[in-house]
Amino acid sequence: MYNFPSPPPPPHLCHSFFASSYSIPEAQSARRNSFMMRWCLALLLCCFLAVVNALSSSGSRLLVVLDESAEKSAYSTLWSDLKERGYDISFETPKSNSLSLFQHGERAYDHLLILPPKSKGLGPNLTPKNVLDFMGQDGNIILALSGKSSTSSAISSLLLEFDIHLSNDRSAVVIDHFNYDTVSAAEKHDVLLLNRPEALRSDVKAFFDGEGVLALPRVAPQTLGNTSPLVSPVLQAPATAYAYNPKEEIPSAEDIEATGSQLNIVSALQSRNSARLTILGSVEALEDKWFSASVKAPNGKKISTANREFAKQLTAWTFKETGVLKVGKVEHHLATDGEVSADDLNPTIYRIKNETVFSIELSEYAYDKWVPYEVPAGDELQLEFTMLSPFHRLALQPTKKTETSTIYSVQFVTPDQHGIFSFRVNYKRPFLTNIEEKHEVTVRHFAHDEYPRSWAISGGWVWIAGLWSVIGGFLAFVIVWLYSAPAADKTKKMQ
Amino acid sequence: MHLWQATVPFCLLASAAIPTAAAAAWGFTDATVAVQPKGAGINGGYKESFSSSKPLGNPVAFTGADTLRVTLTTQEGSSAKRPHQAFLLLKDGHTGLDISYPFTVKENGKSRVELTQKELPLQFLTLPEPIDARIVIGGFGSSDAYDHSVFKLAVERDVNIPIPTAEAPRYGKLPEIHHTFKDDPTNPPIIITLAFVGAVLAALPVLAGLWLFLGVNLSHLPAALKSAPVPHAIFLASLTAIEGIFFLYYTSWNLFQILPAVAAAGAVAFVSGSRALGEVQGRRFAGLR
Repeated sequence: MYNFPSPPPPPHLCHSFFASSYSIPEAQSARRNSFMMRWCLALLLCCFLAVVNALSSSGSRLLVVLDESAEKSAYSTLWSDLKERGYDISFETPKSNSLSLFQHGERAYDHLLILPPKSKGLGPNLTPKNVLDFMGQDGNIILALSGKSSTSSAISSLLLEFDIHLSNDRSAVVIDHFNYDTVSAAEKHDVLLLNRPEALRSDVKAFFDGEGVLALPRVAPQTLGNTSPLVSPVLQAPATAYAYNPKEEIPSAEDIEATGSQLNIVSALQSRNSARLTILGSVEALEDKWFSASVKAPNGKKISTANREFAKQLTAWTFKETGVLKVGKVEHHLATDGEVSADDLNPTIYRIKNETVFSIELSEYAYDKWVPYEVPAGDELQLEFTMLSPFHRLALQPTKKTETSTIYSVQFVTPDQHGIFSFRVNYKRPFLTNIEEKHEVTVRHFAHDEYPRSWAISGGWVWIAGLWSVIGGFLAFVIVWLYSAPAADKTKKMQ
Repeated sequence: MHLWQATVPFCLLASAAIPTAAAAAWGFTDATVAVQPKGAGINGGYKESFSSSKPLGNPVAFTGADTLRVTLTTQEGSSAKRPHQAFLLLKDGHTGLDISYPFTVKENGKSRVELTQKELPLQFLTLPEPIDARIVIGGFGSSDAYDHSVFKLAVERDVNIPIPTAEAPRYGKLPEIHHTFKDDPTNPPIIITLAFVGAVLAALPVLAGLWLFLGVNLSHLPAALKSAPVPHAIFLASLTAIEGIFFLYYTSWNLFQILPAVAAAGAVAFVSGSRALGEVQGRRFAGLR
């Protein structure tokens, strides 16, 4: 049931096989034909591969919403990088009438990149509801903010839906007097220089790490709600940073809402359907100017920024070029020595206390191809054997690796409780698409002839001996009754 | 003359360079940290002064109802001035948690911050080690900002008062679960079993002994075999066969195998039994029994 159909034999093999069975003149023309066929096939395959190579795992239609086309030229390197990776970019202004995220009820684009509009709000076509619906249909979004001007309340209310909060007056800028660019912001200290973020936790895979320094001019900070596991910070401000409204001279102590690492510069949300939303606090960081700027921290050396590489990681993650997991074969069977025949694979019924083997094949998409997925060091891929609640929750260990996948498996004994169970792999981790596999099986109790026989139970020997002694006694009684003569003397005496 | 001409611009250059080389730095003076227990007077409780060059050695104890007060005068260079940022930054080295409490700063640089345990995040209440308390002072322009650890804050709390857990749902691995199997059924010690088996089997010899005591014999067997040998042999054989079939049922046969066999053996036992018992009746009529 969970097997892939076996792949058909490669076409060129079929052709040469048939060609060899023709008579000679026919064979020559057939060979020529097969040669042509092979070429066509190869050409098709090449085209197909080229398309696949350059695509995200979930489509290539990218809509960029920006204010004026004049703004477009400031980000030309970003656009060309995206085009190189196979994206098909359309540009629209928020007010454009032709802007629509849906066509005939289906998504018109796969990904959305929203640059902060100068006007108030995102217009009638990008209402929070439309954007949420877009994500509900697996669309991915990058929303860039800017601390240059105050963020519109439409965006603020959209972010509230995701438990991501902007500052109260929506016009805060992150300042850090310790990590700023002395070249461009010697006075205002509003261009942050930060190292690229490491893994969020020790058990989470890092998608945004690397060498180099990021320059983040005029960051609009976000704070994240604590109750949702779906939102996670990507890049946090340093401990000494704080946010303030540049229109006010000196912030009073009451005005400071959040400080230090509570301020997020880049944060990400992955919804339950694995649609992704990234909030980038500083849109200017994507500009050509900052892709190749050379910056200098206080008491530091002059270095060039890693913004371009970071922008690639950020867009790649959001548009599902990285961090996408795929489940291949899911197999379970009774533990046996050696190979398992196809008939014995994925049975629908097990008995209690059966030794069972479960295995699952996982691949991860890395920019242009599927590679074996490796669980990070502190993390575990877990199998649950559940009926209402898990009876077993066990770590799956990598046992085999193919070119594109890793096979994880575990052997365990089914619990001594009969019922309808399911093998469940519920692997939800920050920055990785959700995996939820559920395969139902019946677990039956012992059949009447599967228990140990009564003579194998030493406690039962007394009863068995009793039974057979009664039978022996009965037979002896029958013989005695049939053939015994009355004991004359004794009975007389008794009388 | 030439020497003079050469040195004058050099001196000018050097004098111009001095202020930039020794750029003003933010700092503070007159700093005190006080922990005032609830109800104590204004000068009650712990009070200690520290400076930017000499942080406090011992951790400052901070218990449940105390108010922590830090006062200082901020300076740019050596003159008192109001900075843009003046924070008391609490930072835990292990977990990387940090939180800042802004000072209330007056124009003349006099700053003060007050803090109670209620204002601390829950995570800070249960840390095993003292928290690092730092002073952060900074402003715009080229003056170097100040950020140094000035004392350690040991948060002490009454362990009897429960604090709400700070657990938030996060995706990650869950604790492993291994099913606890019921215990396998056990047998009593084999010695006891064998003793009782012996007692049960001893019933047969006891029965035989009793019968012999009462004078049981097989004296009529030759007579019975003489008058009706076949029915007697077949009757006994069929009874034994029925018991044998039951034994097979117990070891290997199933119900559908034994039913016809028992029916056949039973029919044989019925027919031969009526003959054999007729012979027994004949002996009774003859007065032999």
